[in-house]
Amino acid sequence: MTCRKAKELMPLYAGGDLRPRLAARVRAHVDSCPSCWEESREFRAVLARVRAAAGAEGGPEWSEADWRGLMARVAAEARSPREAAGRRRAPALLPRWAPASVLGAVIGLAVLATLVKDGRIGGRPGSSVAGPVAAGADRKQDVISVTMVSPESGLQVVWFLDKNFDWKGDKE
Amino acid sequence: MVLSGRAEAFEPLVTPYRGRLTALAYRLTRDREEALEVAQEALLRAFRSLGRFDVSRSFRNWLFQIAANEARDRLRKRARERTAFEAAAHDGPAAADPEAGRDRQELRSEIMRLLEGLSPREREVFVLRDLEELDIRETAVALGCSSIVVRVSLSSARRKMREAIRAGHPHLEEGR
Repeated sequence: MTCRKAKELMPLYAGGDLRPRLAARVRAHVDSCPSCWEESREFRAVLARVRAAAGAEGGPEWSEADWRGLMARVAAEARSPREAAGRRRAPALLPRWAPASVLGAVIGLAVLATLVKDGRIGGRPGSSVAGPVAAGADRKQDVISVTMVSPESGLQVVWFLDKNFDWKGDKE
Repeated sequence: MVLSGRAEAFEPLVTPYRGRLTALAYRLTRDREEALEVAQEALLRAFRSLGRFDVSRSFRNWLFQIAANEARDRLRKRARERTAFEAAAHDGPAAADPEAGRDRQELRSEIMRLLEGLSPREREVFVLRDLEELDIRETAVALGCSSIVVRVSLSSARRKMREAIRAGHPHLEEGR
């Protein structure tokens, strides 16, 4: 190993942070090179001194009030999730969108019932009533006609579609 | 975890780390008040996440990881505030710089001055590896980065420390 390579690795070597095989190679070089040995000793001394200074300093102290306040918050958090879980349990059985779905289904059924009652659905094919005509069990009702009437010219256009809504032709 | 959700069991679990958590937070944030806030928030987060704690891991390292993440979030927020302040200072009348005020209020120790010479990543790595004595892998896990990143940052941090001590802190070189 060269001095240059050893010096590159020295910060990690001094802190014992090289992998064992690489550390052994650096050690072999350091033991035979006074300059690298001195550098290694210097790094170790710096680390030891910084650690000692940091250990002597410590960090800011908790006041007893702060600590008790924190533990009170922890205790409050310990209580509140259970209450929150209890509140959440009922809705969990019924998804949030369930009421909207039920309301939508009811409105849809009411509209459908109204249309059926008025005869706007289930009428005969080719009916002059504007709007879609649903297919029925009858083979002929597999064809749907849609009649459009212009209120200005009186022109009528009738579209014929099969039950798959494929366009079959039109008639004026 | 069996202690999850039990506040009365949480206090004895974390009490041994009171001082070390604030020390870690202080070295990362370089602000005493913020360090206490970071430590408090870290402990609250730890309590909330206790059920997800992997018992095969060191509890101390897990706490340190949460505190380091919290400190990083706050430093980023502080940096954004500083940027906004500088932008406002360009546009409007001069106002008191919150960072400058913070610096004046803090009685900077030698260690804190040395740590200020490091980049945020170097500081995190140096504090966790050299001051809190996590190993390389534990430091990488705590910081959510690779061992290679930790080694590179650590090497750079130690070089900067040595240069700083050579330049202005000869009393820390007594061992020479």
